[in-house]
Amino acid sequence: MKGTYLGEFEEVVLLATAILASDAYGASITNEIEQQMGRSVNLGAVHAALHRLEEKGLLSSRLGGATAERGGRSKRFFTVTMAGTKALDNIREIRNRMWSAIPKPA
Amino acid sequence: MNTPIQPPRWATRLLHWFCASHLVNDLEGDLLELFAQRVRTHGPREARRRYVRDVISLIRPFTLKEKPEKYPQPAFIQSAMIRNFFKIAFRNLVKHKLFSFINVLGLSAGMTACFLIALYVHFELTYDAFNKKADRIYRLSSDIQSSAGTLQYSITSWPFGPALQNDFPEIEAFTRVSKENYLFRKGDVKFNEENTVLADSSIFQVFDLKLLQGNPKTALKAPFSVVLTESAAKKYFGAHPAMGQTLLVGDNGDAAQVTGIMQDPPVNSQLRGDVFLSMTTHTRHYNTAVNDEWGNFGTTTYLLLQPGTDPAALSRKFPAFLHNHMGRLLQQENISMTLLLEPLRDIYLYSKREAEQSGSIENIYIFTIVAIFILLIACINFINLTTARSLERAREVGVRKAVGAGRWLLARQFIAESLLMSFLGFLLSVILSAALLPLFNELSGKTISRGLGQEPLSVGILFLASIFIGLASGIYPALVLSSFEPVKVLKGKLAMTGNGAMLRKGLVTIQFAISIALIIGTMIVYSQLDFMRSHALGFAKDQTVVIKPGTGNSRNALKTMLQNVNGVKSVAGSSAVPGGPNSQAHSKLENARGEMQIATLDVYRVDFDFIPQYGLKVVAGRPFSSEFTSDSTKALVVNEATVKLLGYHSPREAIGKKFSQWDREGTIVGVVKDFNFKSLKENVKPLTFRMLDPWNSDLLSVKLDGHNVKATLEAIETQWKTQYPDRPFSYYFLDEFYDRQYRADERFEALFLNFAALAIFISCMGLLGLASYATVQRTKEIGVRKVLGASVASIVGLLSKDFLQLVGLAFVIAAPLAWFVMHRWLESFAYKTPIHLWIFLAAALLSALVALATISFQSIRAALVNPVKSLRSE
Repeated sequence: MKGTYLGEFEEVVLLATAILASDAYGASITNEIEQQMGRSVNLGAVHAALHRLEEKGLLSSRLGGATAERGGRSKRFFTVTMAGTKALDNIREIRNRMWSAIPKPA
Repeated sequence: MNTPIQPPRWATRLLHWFCASHLVNDLEGDLLELFAQRVRTHGPREARRRYVRDVISLIRPFTLKEKPEKYPQPAFIQSAMIRNFFKIAFRNLVKHKLFSFINVLGLSAGMTACFLIALYVHFELTYDAFNKKADRIYRLSSDIQSSAGTLQYSITSWPFGPALQNDFPEIEAFTRVSKENYLFRKGDVKFNEENTVLADSSIFQVFDLKLLQGNPKTALKAPFSVVLTESAAKKYFGAHPAMGQTLLVGDNGDAAQVTGIMQDPPVNSQLRGDVFLSMTTHTRHYNTAVNDEWGNFGTTTYLLLQPGTDPAALSRKFPAFLHNHMGRLLQQENISMTLLLEPLRDIYLYSKREAEQSGSIENIYIFTIVAIFILLIACINFINLTTARSLERAREVGVRKAVGAGRWLLARQFIAESLLMSFLGFLLSVILSAALLPLFNELSGKTISRGLGQEPLSVGILFLASIFIGLASGIYPALVLSSFEPVKVLKGKLAMTGNGAMLRKGLVTIQFAISIALIIGTMIVYSQLDFMRSHALGFAKDQTVVIKPGTGNSRNALKTMLQNVNGVKSVAGSSAVPGGPNSQAHSKLENARGEMQIATLDVYRVDFDFIPQYGLKVVAGRPFSSEFTSDSTKALVVNEATVKLLGYHSPREAIGKKFSQWDREGTIVGVVKDFNFKSLKENVKPLTFRMLDPWNSDLLSVKLDGHNVKATLEAIETQWKTQYPDRPFSYYFLDEFYDRQYRADERFEALFLNFAALAIFISCMGLLGLASYATVQRTKEIGVRKVLGASVASIVGLLSKDFLQLVGLAFVIAAPLAWFVMHRWLESFAYKTPIHLWIFLAAALLSALVALATISFQSIRAALVNPVKSLRSE
């Protein structure tokens, strides 16, 4: 059974998908992550994460339009599901709680 | 305008190869989009690098796996359905044990026969093929034309090889090979090596004979160098190393050194020997002049041509070559000569020249045809039995169709069944072949294969063939069965269509025609061999033992000693005995026109006792006699064929005519009646007898009185031991020796007999299956007939009549065919038996009887059944 535990990279991919909102697909997510994090990312790693997230039910996908740049090939758009949003909120809440627990330097 | 920069093609191809089809489209889209962006931002180099990296990074489990379809299409191969096919097939096999047994056994018998024949044919066709340079190796043969006709030799004289290589750069190498009989000794171990090969050192350059020890370049260079085959080395030295050891060669016991150990040459090689002795031993010691004697024909010369040499072009230069080197000699002898190049691979099967071993392409054709026939019969059986049983399966077909089976699905089911059958047939035939292979080797007189373990490729081919047979013979029944209309079938209205019955009958007729033709063939081969064995040869061959003593006084001494042995009637010396090789001499004889006619004639050098002891009938003049001292140098006895050659009307006219042959001149003193000194395949050729010289190496024929042969032979051996203490005693019986010429024909007969028996066996199994099926079909009819008063005999007759008609028709087809083929075969014999009518009658009767016996097995049982049983079923 697949747990809902999110790995670090999965979290990043999920966030990138959420940022791109209606324009999230493999290439754009890869670009987004590269820009946000300032390091190069393999397309394979991104797709693997997308696939896992979809299996966990945090993302859903549909096939959509093509552009000339893609050689006429369709895009697979990803959107964050309710469960995905909840998972992100959950992580953020945990992080916030942990941040606030750090004792303030005097 | 620049073409847009493209990503590496191979990476894209890789993606398409590994990626699941439902993903590849958008993944490639992403890749292309990123590539285009990166070309702009990072440049084409970096973009390509990243593209490749991305593609490789996409090789992940989820991209490899195809997505299951929502509504799956029925797959072409469905394991559940296939399993069901085989389950049903297996149940059917078990349910109809007799049918299945007949089917599988017939098929495997056919496959086994075919497999064994294929091994044999392959063996024969690949003679000498182990030589990698075989396509460049040629045997130098010669035709010698004189006024007496053309003599075809496979040998030449010693100077040819070196002179040819010297004159023609096209010739890369030559090697001369002659087979001799040498005595070899090692301490007390002595062997008369009949397979001693004298060979030039270049033999290892020309032929692919593998030296396990020793240097191929020098092993046979020096005189008295010996290369032993592995098995010969074992024979002389056992487990001890043989290299460098000494063997004593010949009667004088010259010391020879072992300079190499050779892997035993392949069985299907013409160059067979146990001991290889350097040719220089012969040319520098035993016969020092032979390298310059152009007229001394006695060695086989093989030439290795340079790659790309046209043998025809080379042959065109031979006449000039002959003129240069042999012109005067040829003119002196008044003969002309042609040199020919025979390709190595063609010699064994095609060359008609004298050879130690020769195959026959005709026999290969015959066996191939027989193999195909037997396989055909087996396949026909299969088709017949399967189709005949279709009625029983009709209901099954109906039900399957009613619940939605398509025609193609049903066809596949039946093909699966026939595949199962042919696979079982394959397994059985592998077992049978493995069991029969030693027998088959013995039957064919050759080690065709040491075992199936050595033949994985052939077994693989057999497996493929069995699958093909299963498919091919399964298609017709499958189409017939799957074409039934469910409504009719389920109503029980289906009757066998007339077409199908015709086809089955036709197939049975073909089967029987083939079997009958094979029976006739076997009988004719047998009667020809019987004819040859019992034919009066014109000389006494019984109770005669032949031994090979030395020459000169020792021979005469042995002869005198043997004459006094108890049980020996007489002893005669000669250079040759009937059935063996003899020399030929260039001779001049006075013919009817008074001219000295030149001819190359067969020669027997004999002593005074030969003609009387062999019971040769002197029809004119007298045999050699010790009363005439001139006989030893000035007399010649000829046979009737010579008289005819010279043009005389009666033998008496030839008496006193002049002759000149091999340094002797004199007159013909006697004429003997023709006798078959060669096999009955040839007509009696002109033959001359001359007195034996003391130095001739020759044979002693010892006539026994027939009482206690064993004791007499022991006494002879004792005498031999006193005369030749160093040499092993060996002997052979003349009648066996003579009949050995027919060994190849006897093998042919035995093989033919076995395959004919197999063919009739398989045909009968087919008939049995068909008859039992037909009887079951007519159970009710038989019941009704019996109720109305038919006798058992009349019912058996009724059931048998149909099938006997087919056998009759088969005979009509087979008889002329068999006559034609066997007539051709008999053409190769000079003395042949006529094709008797009784052979055909016997074959017809035999096949009819066998067929009747097969059918009655079923029909009598059916006729005896109580009609109450057969009629009660509804």
